[in-house]
Amino acid sequence: MTKKYLRMTLNERFQHVNLFINFTLLVITGFALKYPEAFWVSPITDVPLGMTFRGFLHRLCGVLTLTLGGYHILYCAFTERGRQILKDMIPGLKDAKDLWETLKNNLFINRPAKEIKMGRFNFREKLEYLGLIWGTIVMTVTGFILWFKTEWLLYFPMWTYDVARAIHFYEAILATLTIIVWHFYSVVFNPDIYPMNWAWITGNLTEHEMKEEHGLELEKIKAGEKGKLVEFGEAAAVGGGRVYTIPREKVEKEGEKGSPLRRLYGIVQSFNETIKNWKGV
Amino acid sequence: MKWREKGTKTWVVLWGILPLFLFIGFTAGVVWSKDNSMCLGCHQDESLSKQDASGRKLSLFVPETEFKSSVHGKLSCSDCHTKVRDDAHAEGGKKAADKKVDCAACHAKADKEYQQGLHSKMIMKGMERAAYCDDCHGKHNIVPSKNPKSMTHPSNIEKTCNRCHSDVQFVKKHALGASIPGDLFKGSVHGKTGEVTCTSCHGSHNLRSLIDPKSTIFRSNIPQTCGACHPDITKQFVESVHGLLAARGREDSPTCTTCHGIHGIKAKIDPDSPVNERRIAMTTCPQCHAAERISKEYGITKEQVKSYYASFHGLSYRGGDTYSANCASCHGVHDIRSSSDSQSMIHKDNLQKTCGSCHPGASENFAKGKIHVVASIGGEDFGEKVVGWVRIVYIVLIVMVIGGLTLFNFTDWLRKTIEKRPS
Repeated sequence: MTKKYLRMTLNERFQHVNLFINFTLLVITGFALKYPEAFWVSPITDVPLGMTFRGFLHRLCGVLTLTLGGYHILYCAFTERGRQILKDMIPGLKDAKDLWETLKNNLFINRPAKEIKMGRFNFREKLEYLGLIWGTIVMTVTGFILWFKTEWLLYFPMWTYDVARAIHFYEAILATLTIIVWHFYSVVFNPDIYPMNWAWITGNLTEHEMKEEHGLELEKIKAGEKGKLVEFGEAAAVGGGRVYTIPREKVEKEGEKGSPLRRLYGIVQSFNETIKNWKGV
Repeated sequence: MKWREKGTKTWVVLWGILPLFLFIGFTAGVVWSKDNSMCLGCHQDESLSKQDASGRKLSLFVPETEFKSSVHGKLSCSDCHTKVRDDAHAEGGKKAADKKVDCAACHAKADKEYQQGLHSKMIMKGMERAAYCDDCHGKHNIVPSKNPKSMTHPSNIEKTCNRCHSDVQFVKKHALGASIPGDLFKGSVHGKTGEVTCTSCHGSHNLRSLIDPKSTIFRSNIPQTCGACHPDITKQFVESVHGLLAARGREDSPTCTTCHGIHGIKAKIDPDSPVNERRIAMTTCPQCHAAERISKEYGITKEQVKSYYASFHGLSYRGGDTYSANCASCHGVHDIRSSSDSQSMIHKDNLQKTCGSCHPGASENFAKGKIHVVASIGGEDFGEKVVGWVRIVYIVLIVMVIGGLTLFNFTDWLRKTIEKRPS
């Protein structure tokens, strides 16, 4: 049985899926306004009131994204795990070095390629997280100016509205392209990852993935685990919410059967394990 | 046939004189008799015909019952066919001696009008198929135009005109355009009313050519022609910037037909109508305001249309949003005025109100700054410059960031692909 390392809790996965849906809808409904004659916009423009609905959906998704952002702030402020995420997310000199070394590796300046050990969040992820925060703030501010223009124009001149409009558009391009170029490479097209990093669904990373992308963190975990053979339940308390190992086999107490879904999952899982460990007759 | 109502006296006088003519006719002899039986004796024969000058067969049959019930039923043949020489008929009709019937002898006023009209001029030019009295009114079967059976009854005028003007060969030959006006008219909002017909706009006896300045359909007369039924709109239009220019003979300035169409005018709600709200800002206004020929001549720029298309209003409109403002929402419809006109909807004192009609509570900041502007760093306004710079900064930023990320990922991909290459 390969060891799994918890990457995203169910809560975090929900946050990610939420953002994923909202972001996609925002991109579609936003660019549908800017390019109304594009072929992919026809499902919106061909329907009566399509453009009106588009605007409504865009604002709704904007509000939902903002709500998610607010939730994420609370999550980061009021949970142990959230605070740790924030701490680990702070960019440092090491990230710049990592990036530099990666580039040298990529350009075959380092021969053979140097093994880079990166922390819980590597420079790719930190960059993206910061970009996301920046983008959300910019889009929210300019978006609200555009939405509540009457109120905004009570206090500010007309040209500020035009500026907000320009920023909203170009920031949208920047954000969309960043997701496509950076995020999609990191989690899909990276040859180490392809076809996909499943952590956004399963929540776990494999040891191999940990080694490739978060070598330092893996070492830290292994060092922490050394000589500490404790039950997982206990380990969670000791590790302060930073436990990556998760129990594969739930110790079933007598009289407690678990939910039917979990039991089915257990059957499928054990079936998989059996096939994997099958050594022939 | 309005002249009859107006010129009652003429009518009375004519009828008064008639017995005199009849008396002379009676005394003149058998052929000049009031009694038509002499003529009809031969002309009742349906096969009676002659060859005309160009060798075509011409029927000489006169349907007696139709003639009797016609408005001229009580007249003698010779009242109209004045030039029929009795000697010719005496010889057995071998000699073609009659000249065209001269309606003007009685209908002087109509004839006077007709003489000024296009059809008579075409006849004088020797055109064969130009309409003469009988082409529109009929020959022996003329009934008053109030009679629904009359060729000139409003319900039949279309049919009467279409005898020539819906004939493809005729229309082509006389360069009257490729389409058949009658077909267009049939589907139009006017055609469907059943009250408006060809003559309502073109006039009847004095129907004139498009290039005749006295014509009802001459460019600068069109607003008045339409105003006969739509007086309020014409009043608005003649004071508008378009109306003023059109009245001064500016060919490029629109009149009613430029936006609404000509024969095929459709109701505003019809999607085919050029003034349908979905088409105003797509084709109708831009046909001139985005045309180089016109924008150069009048010192207007194509930027207005371009900037509208790029604005929120324009973008949403292009996507099919009809709540979004189009040209007419801010500039008005028939009463479009220059922004320097204090009555204009887009005069700076009225802008706040104009914006406020869709944006309740619009502050005075709405009216400040330019609207139709394609922002650039070389702009006049401070705001224009800022937007221009934002644009440049962002484009540079996007190219650098996305370019950098792409490049980095590409090298990453390349190395990993090379490393994974099966050796």
